[in-house]
Amino acid sequence: MKNAASALLLATVALAGIAQAKPWWMRGSDANETDFLPPNVAFRAGARIEGSAVKVRWVIADGYYLYKSKIEIAAESPDLTVGAPDLPAGTTKTDQFMGTQEIYTQQVEVTAPYTRADAGAHPMQIKVTYQGCAEAGLCYPPITRVLFPGIPTEQIVAPSTPFRWERIAMIGGLLAFLLAGLVLRRGRKLELPAA
Amino acid sequence: MSPSNGPRLLIGALLLMMAAWAGFRLHASRSQPPAFVAVPAGRASPSIPSDSAGEPALPAGSLLGTPIPSQLPSFSINDLQGHPTTAAAWSGKSLVLNFWATWCGPCQREVPLLQALSTEWSGRNVAVVGIAVDHRDQVQSFAERFKIGYPLLVGEQDALDLAAKLGLGSPVFPFTVFADRRGQVVALFVGELHRPQADLILSVLQELNQDKVQLPDARHLIADGLEKLGDKLSS
Repeated sequence: MKNAASALLLATVALAGIAQAKPWWMRGSDANETDFLPPNVAFRAGARIEGSAVKVRWVIADGYYLYKSKIEIAAESPDLTVGAPDLPAGTTKTDQFMGTQEIYTQQVEVTAPYTRADAGAHPMQIKVTYQGCAEAGLCYPPITRVLFPGIPTEQIVAPSTPFRWERIAMIGGLLAFLLAGLVLRRGRKLELPAA
Repeated sequence: MSPSNGPRLLIGALLLMMAAWAGFRLHASRSQPPAFVAVPAGRASPSIPSDSAGEPALPAGSLLGTPIPSQLPSFSINDLQGHPTTAAAWSGKSLVLNFWATWCGPCQREVPLLQALSTEWSGRNVAVVGIAVDHRDQVQSFAERFKIGYPLLVGEQDALDLAAKLGLGSPVFPFTVFADRRGQVVALFVGELHRPQADLILSVLQELNQDKVQLPDARHLIADGLEKLGDKLSS
């Protein structure tokens, strides 16, 4: 019995620092507390043009990392040529099985030179590939995405704007209520009870 | 009411209706669940990056999709020799299906545990099966290097399809599915599996196989047990 208790204690201690993933039936109101992030949330990529270079930036969630060696940037739109990316130095990560590799955490910006033969006739599209893992013990397969560095992001995806509707409803409703009061009151005389 | 009051009352009524609509609209928008669910910071729940990287905010979500079957879906995936293998190969046995890839560090770290579980539980009608989503030659050399003794299946899209049928919205590695001898999916564990977690799930699975507990109770036992392990980690 004492041995069993010791084993349990040892097992618990051995788990220190290890993240816990919940089984599927525990999904529900509290599921987001422990689920790993989907890849598009764990690693968010955006691109912009600066002079003759395209800059791709990844924002990496806490506890997640990207492998430097797995980052690739390529031309996607016709007549676009993208040069070799300039990858900043990363952090060294040594794993018993995977060896020593350079990784990026938090965020990283990669610059790549580009030239265009079509003078902007086509929207500029680049293809980025990246791969990363969660420190808690999960890896994502290589992710490939097409980015539009020449177009402001809000033109690509129109975000829903519930706030605008709320404001219209608030101001419109207030005005309507005031106007209704004015319209209905106009022409009415104040009738006081006879003394 | 004099006739001259008619249009005024009508306009007033219309304006009041507009005000009522606005009130309703505001109430409805406040009552709706938020479009984006925040992921609180935590051990296994890292915060969403605050910097947008030039992208519109993305909703936080779960890796797990829906629906997740209660019964293990049928599958046919080739083994290392290229022979199609179905779940029927382990008919009547509990299954520990471990999805992995050779390039995945946590998957590699799991191998010694899976190897040990396979040895320890084989006499109790539990089979550990690795499903590699990878190239056959790479899996072959990996299996030789790590001296993997449990059966390995190798798939690409077919293995990903099975993962999707099991409810995994985005492919990630490793993840492990536990099914009882009747083929009921008892647990789906996303991420690197560790000895205490595996022991807990398998001991409950065994009780389920021996009809000492029913499936809902087994799931609760596993859930509570994992929760307690998690609490001990954070304390």
